[in-house]
Amino acid sequence: MHSQNSTIKNSLSKDQIAAAALCALPKIGPKRLMTLLKHHDPQTAWAVVQGRAKPNEVVSAMLRVEGLVTLLRHRATQDLQDQIEQRCIRAGINITIFGDENYPRALFADLAPPAVLFYFGDLSALNSRRVGIVGTRSATASGRYLASNIAHDLATNDVCVVSGLARGIDAWAHRGALRALESQPAEQFIGRPVAVVASGLDVVYPRENAQLWQDIAKQGAMISESAPGSPPEAFRFPLRNRILAALSEVLVVVESRDTGGSMITVDEAQKRDVTVLAVPGSPRNVASNGTNQLIQQGCLPIIGAQDVLVALGLDNRRAQENIYDPRVRLSTSDQSLVSMMAGSPFTFDDFVIRSCLATIDAAVALGRLEALGWIVENSGWWEVIEVRQPLH
Amino acid sequence: MFASVKSATLLGVRGSQVDVEVHAGIGLPGFTVVGQPDEVCRESRDRVRAALLSSDLPWPTRRITVNLAPSGDRKSGACLDLAIAIGLLAAQGLLPVEILAQYAFIAELGLDGSLRPVRGATPLVLATIDRQTVVALENFGEASAATVTQVFSAKTLFEVVECLSGRTEWRKEISKKTLINKSKVVTDLADVQGQPVARQALEISAAGSHHLLLVGPPGAGKTMLAERLVGLLPSLTDEQAISATMIHSSVQTEFLNSGLIRDAPYRAPHHSSSMVAMVGGGTSLMRPGEISLASQGVLFLDELGEFAPSVLDALRQPLEQRVVHLARARTSVVMPAEFLLVAATNPCPCGEGTPGSCTCDDAARARYLRRFSGPLLDRFDLRVAVSRPNTTDLISPIAGESTSVVAARVAKARSLAFSRFGCTNSTLTRQQLDSAAPLTKKAEELLRKELEAGHLTGRGYHRVRRVARTIADLTGAPQMIDETHLHLALLLRVDFASGLRTRAMQV
Repeated sequence: MHSQNSTIKNSLSKDQIAAAALCALPKIGPKRLMTLLKHHDPQTAWAVVQGRAKPNEVVSAMLRVEGLVTLLRHRATQDLQDQIEQRCIRAGINITIFGDENYPRALFADLAPPAVLFYFGDLSALNSRRVGIVGTRSATASGRYLASNIAHDLATNDVCVVSGLARGIDAWAHRGALRALESQPAEQFIGRPVAVVASGLDVVYPRENAQLWQDIAKQGAMISESAPGSPPEAFRFPLRNRILAALSEVLVVVESRDTGGSMITVDEAQKRDVTVLAVPGSPRNVASNGTNQLIQQGCLPIIGAQDVLVALGLDNRRAQENIYDPRVRLSTSDQSLVSMMAGSPFTFDDFVIRSCLATIDAAVALGRLEALGWIVENSGWWEVIEVRQPLH
Repeated sequence: MFASVKSATLLGVRGSQVDVEVHAGIGLPGFTVVGQPDEVCRESRDRVRAALLSSDLPWPTRRITVNLAPSGDRKSGACLDLAIAIGLLAAQGLLPVEILAQYAFIAELGLDGSLRPVRGATPLVLATIDRQTVVALENFGEASAATVTQVFSAKTLFEVVECLSGRTEWRKEISKKTLINKSKVVTDLADVQGQPVARQALEISAAGSHHLLLVGPPGAGKTMLAERLVGLLPSLTDEQAISATMIHSSVQTEFLNSGLIRDAPYRAPHHSSSMVAMVGGGTSLMRPGEISLASQGVLFLDELGEFAPSVLDALRQPLEQRVVHLARARTSVVMPAEFLLVAATNPCPCGEGTPGSCTCDDAARARYLRRFSGPLLDRFDLRVAVSRPNTTDLISPIAGESTSVVAARVAKARSLAFSRFGCTNSTLTRQQLDSAAPLTKKAEELLRKELEAGHLTGRGYHRVRRVARTIADLTGAPQMIDETHLHLALLLRVDFASGLRTRAMQV
């Protein structure tokens, strides 16, 4: 089997395969893996868990947990190595080990760096300035617009947008970054998208993001700490969030409830002294509870990509031409309707009550505002779109 | 030795005339019922025997054969009891055979000789419309209201015999006590606080008979709204009332002595209802289902998503044809199904629906919405998002418009629609629509834009025009449809899956 594989071009070194197989072992989390690989080279470490080599003192102390040695000996088979190797080769997954030349420098000095990283694409995408964008999975329409637009504007300023490729804000941040790559001339430097995912790289989750998954692998980089074939188990997500925080120079929270994954990322970022920025929302909007709380606690509020660039020290407000809103200016009465309803999603009912219009007049007003692009419909709810779209 | 008496039995919601032939001949004493009687019908032998003996009337000690003609059809129910007893007496020569030819008898007998009411008095009496009919006292109100011919009632078998032989007169007056007018629980639209859009949707739905889907979180008042819709419908015409009474009478267990059903019926079956309960059938009686019982009125399906998908899809054909054809191995019947469908559902599994406060992910929402098949959703002309009324509305002392005010507008709009093609706006054909609902230039342009943007299907296009016609009728614009009517019609046709499509969100 080995002789066959060696003919394939992107074959992996024996060290890399051994390291990958160690990741796939049960009860070997990031910490134990790091200890193993700090004191042994990968192939020796593999021999150690198989019981074929003598462990170093620190490692043997670590392995002194009831049942651990037996379990590892039982699982660490040649079969597992072959299986992992097959999976990597079939999906085209690359591996980098802590200390390798292409191991991301941002992670090298981290508090809890991953010992082994699996990746698609090109890790040099991380060499530009990096901004993490995170947020809730059930975002409002304006949250999605904002995430997409901020990511787009950052990417056009050669900033690498890092996110987690989850549903909602994450996916829309990636979409915005990809859109920048599509629409800009080739000679300009565009930040490339980087996604940090929790499952193995050959396990697409959530499945609706399959197309994004491919696009990011092609245009930027996909990173995972989990061995190929690992399912998206719950414990992997907080670990993923730590890498996401570590990779970000600045972390932007677009929309978040007061609990949830985004808040874990924020905690991890604060442990690492990463600047956290939050997009404020209406106090009526539940999806903005978390971000509003962050602002209350002292996070800087932002309303657009410019503010993020300032935080990165890339203030170019004076260099850029004015942002142009292509939408038709509203009449005073329409403007007051729009500002009255802005902030949180509303139903037709809410609109009739708050505007004090007759139902039929309210219907006409909604139809007019929608046609002009100031509001959008989202499964029976309406939202005001205040974000000014960049001209391109 | 032989007598023939008329009666009727029930199949589906229709009665059919039955000749009860009684022959008392020589042979070992015995009693046989032939002509495909069911179990209840066969047991009539024991009831009739006891009733005759309790009434001091003779039981013949002969070989008795009762034939229920036409003998090819199945007979069911106890409504033939009285006819068999009268036939037995006539066969013994105790009643004049010639007089019996003018009567039909529809009642069950008690062992003490009393007459008991039967289900389906209206259809049964209508089946024997060529002669005078004798029914139990409890059936009198309904039976006499349903038919143009003379209906007599009696309390006991003995009383019937006395009247037939001319010794006493038939009862003239029905005591007030038996004619109970069921007091209706009045639900008034004024109870609904706020929710102007939902109220408007109810009004449009009632005026044009447009099927209505209410989508909203728990506690938004969906059920409350649906209950109030039925009050907005006009009371039934004579023809509709007879049709509705026939259906209800054939399944009811309590006996309405108030006469015909005059108010539009309201049915709200639970979501565990089976297919048979919904469309009808079941026993050999072919019981009408909920869709037939809701005929001329409102069928309310609460928690639409919890109904079995097969049950919901079974509604599609009756919704289009307005009747339901039920075929079984032995029989097939056609039952009316002219109902106004109102359904309520939550927007997503967590019930909240509002973007931002909903905790469901897109996949779960998509899965939830997939329960309603597209063709079924497309048949709802009005799809309205209902939100919880806010606090100020809830505690506001100002009541909304009451049912009577809105019902007057509805009646006006309905008569306008009927004056055009003799039907409600929701049943206009495409050709009728072109002449009845001409569009202004601006309105035409708006519809073209919606079609081009892919927001409307071909079917949706016509449905929106029908709703716009009703809106125009309600606002007192009987001629052209302009864009204001269309804007409202389009807004009352929410696409609840639109947020799930990334196309709509493309920046």
